[in-house]
Amino acid sequence: MKSFFRNTTFHMSLAILAGLGLGLGYSWKISPVTYVDASPAILRSDFKDQYRIVIAASYASSQDLARARARLRLLGDVDPIGELSAQAQRMLAAGDSLQHIEPLARLAADLQQGFASAPPSPTLFTDVNIFETPISASTFAEFAVTETLIAQIIEEASPFPTPVFEQTPLAPVFATANTPRPTFTPNPGPGAPFTLVGQDPVCDPGLQRGLLQFMFMDGRRRQVAGIEITVTWSQGEDRFFTGFKPELGDGYADFVMQPDVIYNIRVVEGGAFVPNISAPACADPNGQKYPGGLLLTFQQP
Amino acid sequence: MIAAGVGIALGVIYGWMIDPIEYTDVTPNILREDYRADYVLMVAEAHQKEQDPELAARRLAILGSDSPAQIVTVTLNFAANNGFTPNEMSALQGLLTAMQTYQPQGGSVP
Repeated sequence: MKSFFRNTTFHMSLAILAGLGLGLGYSWKISPVTYVDASPAILRSDFKDQYRIVIAASYASSQDLARARARLRLLGDVDPIGELSAQAQRMLAAGDSLQHIEPLARLAADLQQGFASAPPSPTLFTDVNIFETPISASTFAEFAVTETLIAQIIEEASPFPTPVFEQTPLAPVFATANTPRPTFTPNPGPGAPFTLVGQDPVCDPGLQRGLLQFMFMDGRRRQVAGIEITVTWSQGEDRFFTGFKPELGDGYADFVMQPDVIYNIRVVEGGAFVPNISAPACADPNGQKYPGGLLLTFQQP
Repeated sequence: MIAAGVGIALGVIYGWMIDPIEYTDVTPNILREDYRADYVLMVAEAHQKEQDPELAARRLAILGSDSPAQIVTVTLNFAANNGFTPNEMSALQGLLTAMQTYQPQGGSVP
C-alpha cells in the first residue's frame, strides 16, 4: 500500500487532477468567457419584451412583414406569434396604454394571416417621390388581381372561420364555402365603417356565463384584428381590441357581462353603436336558467 | 509541478473552449454590432411614424450609457459601411436629428 502512495503515476495523476480543478475554477469562476457579441436570443426576458415592442413599432411604420418575421426569429422563440400575443396580454393586464399594445396585436395578427393589413406609413417614402410616378390602369388592374388572388389563397389555405374552438367555442359557426368573387370590384379601405350584421344568443352551458363575443370581418369576410371596442354601462367602461386571442380568430374579442346590466357597445373605428345589450336568459338541460352569451358580428360593407 | 501545469492547462482549455459558461440573461449593451445597428434602425423606423423623441430615446437607452445621439451616430457609420438602403439611411438620419435636438424631461428617462 505504501509503495502505491509513493508511486510516481499516482502523484502525477493527483497533480493533474488538482491542476484540472484549479484550471476549471479559473476559467468558470475567476475569469469566465465574457460575451461581447451576443445575439438577441440570449437577452434577458424583459429586454426581449422591449425588443418585440420595437419590432412591432417598426413594423407598424414599415409594414414589412418578412423583415418583422426575420427579426422575431432572432429572439429564438419557439412560437413567435404566441409570444407576441402573450406579451400583449401581459401589458394589458399591467395597465399599459392601448396605444403601445396595439402594434403587438396587429403584428401577431398579420403574421398569422400572412400579409400586412395596413398600408405603410407615408413618411417612410419621404425620399422617394411616389406622386410623380404615373399609375396606369393596367397597374391598378394587376394590383386588384393580386389582391383577389391573395384573398383566395388565404381562404383556401385556412377556411373561415378559424379552427375548432375547445375552450370558448364560437357559435353559430359561419359557412365555409368558397364563393366566386368579382375580380375588379373596388373594396372599401381599412377605415370603412363596421355595421352590425348579426346578434345571436349563445346558450352553451360549457361557455362562460354572460360571455359577450365579438367578431369583426372586412368586406371579404376576413377577420380584422386591432379594432378598438368600447363597452360602457351605468357604472363603468372598458376598452379592448380584437386580435388578442388569435387562437380564437384575428377578429375575435370578448367581454363578460354581469346579469341584469345593460351595456352599450361602440366600435371606435367607424363609430358603430349598439345600445341596450344584456346577457340573454338561457336554460340548461335541467331547466335551470342562467345568463347566456351573445355573439355580435360586425362587417365592413 | 509539470503534471499540475498540464492539469491547469487542460482545465482552462475545457472551461474556456470546450464547455464555457453559457450566458442566457444578457443585457442589450453587449449585442453584436449588426444586431445593435438593426435595433437602432427599428427605433428609427418606428420614430418616423410616432415622432416621439422621448420614446425613441428611452428605447435607445437600453443599448448602454452612451447618449442617444452617439448611439445613432455609431449606427449611421455602420450603416454607411454596410450597404444600408437610402430609405434606411434616411430613417437613421431623421432619428439622429431628433436625438441631437432632444432634451430629456426631468428624470423620466430611465
